[in-house]
Amino acid sequence: MTLPIILAVAEASTPEKFGLELHVVLIQVVSFLILAGVLYYYAIRPVLSTMDERVKKIDSGLRYADEVKAKLEAVQHESEATAKKAQAEASKVIEEARKTAKEYLDRQSQETAAKTSEMLVKAQQVIELERRKMLAEARTEIARLVVATTERVLARELSEDDRGRYNASAARELSNT
Amino acid sequence: MASSAKVAQQFARQLVTLSLVDGSVSAERVGGVLAYLEKHAPANAIAVLKAYHRLIATEVAKGEAVVEHAGPVSEAELASIAAALSKHYRRTVTATARERPELIAGLRVHVGDDIYESSVAAQLAALEASV
Repeated sequence: MTLPIILAVAEASTPEKFGLELHVVLIQVVSFLILAGVLYYYAIRPVLSTMDERVKKIDSGLRYADEVKAKLEAVQHESEATAKKAQAEASKVIEEARKTAKEYLDRQSQETAAKTSEMLVKAQQVIELERRKMLAEARTEIARLVVATTERVLARELSEDDRGRYNASAARELSNT
Repeated sequence: MASSAKVAQQFARQLVTLSLVDGSVSAERVGGVLAYLEKHAPANAIAVLKAYHRLIATEVAKGEAVVEHAGPVSEAELASIAAALSKHYRRTVTATARERPELIAGLRVHVGDDIYESSVAAQLAALEASV
């Protein structure tokens, strides 16, 4: 149905001669320029502007990401440095604690040794004093027993003549004094 | 109070000096001193008499030697001791014997506050002390 219509239109619009018609070309060029201008003004330029903004935003985002990355690396480096410093300080504190503990232990050992020596010396002195005291007491007791025994023996064994001779000797001694 | 006692002591010493004859206490002198005190009583007569009594007793003791002994002591030995003490103290000293068996043997002579001893007990005591 439509085919005869298309053929009739084609037959009716067929040019009479083959060639270039300048005014038609000009019209086509003008139409194209108008269309291009309208398209540029209402379509292409907003799109380009939008694309520029998008590009700027992307660039900004990339810079921000780079900055964040740099900051993150700086923070990471700083934290690593802080951790190293803290570790060094902890090691130093531990070393000082060990040194202090060793010094305290050495000092305690020396004090204990000194106290032990002092106690030994005092104990020896006490033992020596006790020994001397015991010897003195024994000597005194022996002397007392010897004297008491001698007194009893002399009181029993001395005769009146012996006492008389002793008294005579004592009288001479006192007279010559 | 203390000064009055000191004055009484000094006065008693003077009275004792008046009571001695050749370094020995004379009974006559003592009687004279007591008679004088009876007639001329000093202000602190009691204190003077007490001090005089004590000093006279000391002087009498100086003239008397108590010879403690264990065993027999002859009169000749007592006399020799009295003579030696009289010569030593430059006054007459009489010897009185007193038995003291704890001396074991020997003599111990008291003259006033002085003691002279030569006895077995003293030698044993010295031995015990030295040990």
